[in-house]
Amino acid sequence: PPQNKGIFINLENGELCFNSLQCKSSCCHRTSGVSLARCVHLAADKQECSVKTLYGTYYRCPCESGLKCKSGISIGGSITNTNFGVCYDPRDTAESS
Amino acid sequence: AQVCYDRLGCFVDTVPWAGTLQRPLGKLPWPPERIKTTFILFTKQNPSTFQEISALNPSSILASNYRGNKTTRFIIHGFIDQGDENWLKDMCTLMMQTEDVNCICVDWQGGSRTGYLQSSHNIRVVAAEIVYLIKYFQSNYNQAPADFHVIGHSLGAHCAGEVGRKIKGLGRITGLDPAEAYFQNAANLVRLDASDAVFVDVIHTDSAPMVPYLGLGMSQAVGHLDFYPNGGEHMPGCDKNIVSQIVDLDGIWEGTRDFVACNHLRSYKYYADSILNPEGFVGYKCNSTEDFVAGKCFPCPTGGCPVMGHHSPTFKAPAGTVNMKFYLNTGDARPFMRWRYRVTVTITGDRDVSGTLRVSLYGTNGNTRQHEIAKTKLRPGSTYSAYVDAEVDVGEVKKVKFLWDNSQINPLLPKLGAQVLVLQRGKDRQVYVDLL
Repeated sequence: PPQNKGIFINLENGELCFNSLQCKSSCCHRTSGVSLARCVHLAADKQECSVKTLYGTYYRCPCESGLKCKSGISIGGSITNTNFGVCYDPRDTAESS
Repeated sequence: AQVCYDRLGCFVDTVPWAGTLQRPLGKLPWPPERIKTTFILFTKQNPSTFQEISALNPSSILASNYRGNKTTRFIIHGFIDQGDENWLKDMCTLMMQTEDVNCICVDWQGGSRTGYLQSSHNIRVVAAEIVYLIKYFQSNYNQAPADFHVIGHSLGAHCAGEVGRKIKGLGRITGLDPAEAYFQNAANLVRLDASDAVFVDVIHTDSAPMVPYLGLGMSQAVGHLDFYPNGGEHMPGCDKNIVSQIVDLDGIWEGTRDFVACNHLRSYKYYADSILNPEGFVGYKCNSTEDFVAGKCFPCPTGGCPVMGHHSPTFKAPAGTVNMKFYLNTGDARPFMRWRYRVTVTITGDRDVSGTLRVSLYGTNGNTRQHEIAKTKLRPGSTYSAYVDAEVDVGEVKKVKFLWDNSQINPLLPKLGAQVLVLQRGKDRQVYVDLL
């Protein structure tokens, strides 16, 4: 395996992580509360996303650059990190597409 | 020396079986009673529960759901795994979702839980057992050799070749990363080769040399169509750090197998994904990985490209040609399918800027994430082009979003735009323009 293998930083997609700062993709994703978290791609347009919060790991990744995560922020949701929304392109809503 | 077993014939250890450059030492295969080859049948009626059948006990076959008017596919595991791995059974179950066939998993653990050299000879008895069963089917269900398809992984691929050697006109053999040691450059008689069946397709996923890279699979093209996904040596997703590799989604045992032979096992995982996704593994005819990466083999010729995996036979290779090489890229985790495009963009702007260009494709069936096509000093007026392996089959492309961001904060707020953007889809040469 290539030399600049980090166990803790610069992690590739699929590698185990506990904080998004470790991932090259900057999203450390877990499927459930008990599952292990792994680095994955940021959410693409029209995919489920979570508003960027301070937590290390996400149930849904934040959106890719240029996109926003449209979700109703609920206080409860932001505590349990289950604020889910869908990525959208703000410029789309500008032009009538 | 020679050993003979009733029902299965005699086995020698003379040249070319042994005493050659590739196989200096020879071994005689173990008796069938010790290898205990067992056949596990799946059909549309029992897609996930198996029925054990044996030609020695015909009532087991009559009582089973085996039907003689259907194609029969055999799947043979290799040296690394022991047959009770679920990938064989999972593959049969997957097939039942899309076709009505007899799917038989061949379990020869008894012969593979030993040294590699002995195992590489035991497959000759395993092949003889399969031939014995096929002959039973032929005489009792008047099936033709062309109705049989044998899929083998690692040593299992050469076992399939041995079956094909003994059954003239066998319909198809699929070699999933055929084993390299003792087989690469050995005589045709000994290894899988294109003469072993009407159609032989091979998937190479671990073809780096055994020394020093521990590559377990052959790099030699041995079939009619030989596929080298991702160049055939290092599969994406197989270079995870040790902790992430062993603690696998499917548990520690699967993770450990992956740690030992991740590249080697990818061959059957790609094949399994191809069963339900025919279009996701388009192979581009090419002479080498370098040519493929350089774009010399894109797009498909007007006659079209073959697809790697289960649906390969849909491609009509020119008669008599063998060892045609095809290249493609796959994903780093399931689902492994990818759809290849070439993107060419001419940019506009008021000044040079260093940054990253990204595109995302939007089509009738959805959209892709952002794919990087250039990370350099961007000069307005110049054209950049790159290949995108989209992770989604977006169908007919409607729109391409062009994005750039500069790596450093630039107070002068440079503006950059795209003037012309041309997109070409690999599989059918379809060109899309003015998509901005």
